Amino acid sequence: MSMNFSEFKRLLGAEPRSDDPEFRRACHSSPEFEREARDALRFEEKLEHALAVPEPSGLIEDLLTISEQSPSGSGNRRLLQYALAASLFVAVGAAGIVWKMNPSWDSVEEYLVDHYRHDGVSLMTRTQSDTAEDVQAVLSELSIQASPQLADIVGVIKYCPTPDGKGVHMILNTDTGPVTVFYMPDTEVIDGETLAFDDVEAVLVELQSGSAAIIGPDATTFSSLQALIYDSLLPLPGNS
Amino acid sequence: MNTEAGRQAKFNQLAQSYGTDLYRYAMWICGNDALAKDLVQETYLRAWKALDRLKDPKAAKSWLITILRREFARTFERKVPKFTDLDKVVVTEESELEPDEQTEMKILRQGIMKLAPKYREPLLMQVVLGYSCKEISEALDISKSAVMTQLFRAREQLKTQMRKDGVTGNVHELF
Repeated sequence: MSMNFSEFKRLLGAEPRSDDPEFRRACHSSPEFEREARDALRFEEKLEHALAVPEPSGLIEDLLTISEQSPSGSGNRRLLQYALAASLFVAVGAAGIVWKMNPSWDSVEEYLVDHYRHDGVSLMTRTQSDTAEDVQAVLSELSIQASPQLADIVGVIKYCPTPDGKGVHMILNTDTGPVTVFYMPDTEVIDGETLAFDDVEAVLVELQSGSAAIIGPDATTFSSLQALIYDSLLPLPGNS
Repeated sequence: MNTEAGRQAKFNQLAQSYGTDLYRYAMWICGNDALAKDLVQETYLRAWKALDRLKDPKAAKSWLITILRREFARTFERKVPKFTDLDKVVVTEESELEPDEQTEMKILRQGIMKLAPKYREPLLMQVVLGYSCKEISEALDISKSAVMTQLFRAREQLKTQMRKDGVTGNVHELF
């Protein structure tokens, strides 16, 4: 029994690329059906084009780093530091250290620049605010906790890759505006080293457990924040 | 998968095969570039932790989508941000289109975002993820007939929106 036009239009609107034999036959059963099918496919092409938003650069590479955070993977990485004076302003691409870490990043400086350019700015525009409870929940997976004073100013928190495995990306709402912090549980840095790239400055901080990078428009305003993070980002009891 | 290297290979295959589709799906359900990236990253983090539970490689895509939808519901559903990033996200890809085609795309995208979630989500599953009606019905736990109705209505609403917002005259000339 052949399909009527009304039923055909319904199927066409629901699944225009259906390979059902009866439907395919109906597509060529009359000029009216053919025209309807042709128009539907033209609309479908536009719909497919409209929905195919490009993926952000680095998306797949970022996903691939997740599997490198396995315990056996992170244990193999050893820091190899050759030379660098502390408190050095390092321009992008002129880092004086060679580290053996993630093959994607030759140095912690390269990682910071790469990471910040990936989603540093976009995350600061995020409208959703995480709660202090969210902050503690995320940090606790890395056996760390934040003091209430620090947790209260964290606007956004999420996991992120670091040179040595899983870390945390935070946006702190400070008096001078939003500041980005990357917490790196297993990465060693030179405490106090600063670097500048694009239109931001960063300072590296050795913590009681792990390290952090503080990134914002002006590193000279970081001193109190640096102290707050050092005093407030602490190992969970029993994990020190 | 017994070895760590095997586990990594399996995971990397999932990232390379489905990462882009998941991002697009996430982009259209949460409506924000940065959040979509977060959502995909969280999905793969959870997938990595639970990878050993994935026994059938053919089920990988639907498994990932289930994780992503659950994560979206948990994290974002109560507060969906405004859809502000799309022009920025697609503008570089559209330079090959004629101005009127660009306008058409913009209207179509706005129409997609205006669709009620119950119409938009099946449409995304079908067009972005390549799901059949049966697969959509299983993912959304509704009947196949209901899926077909929602897909039909989604497309009809988009065509209506296109006619209303951008073009007058015969819809067949537009498409």
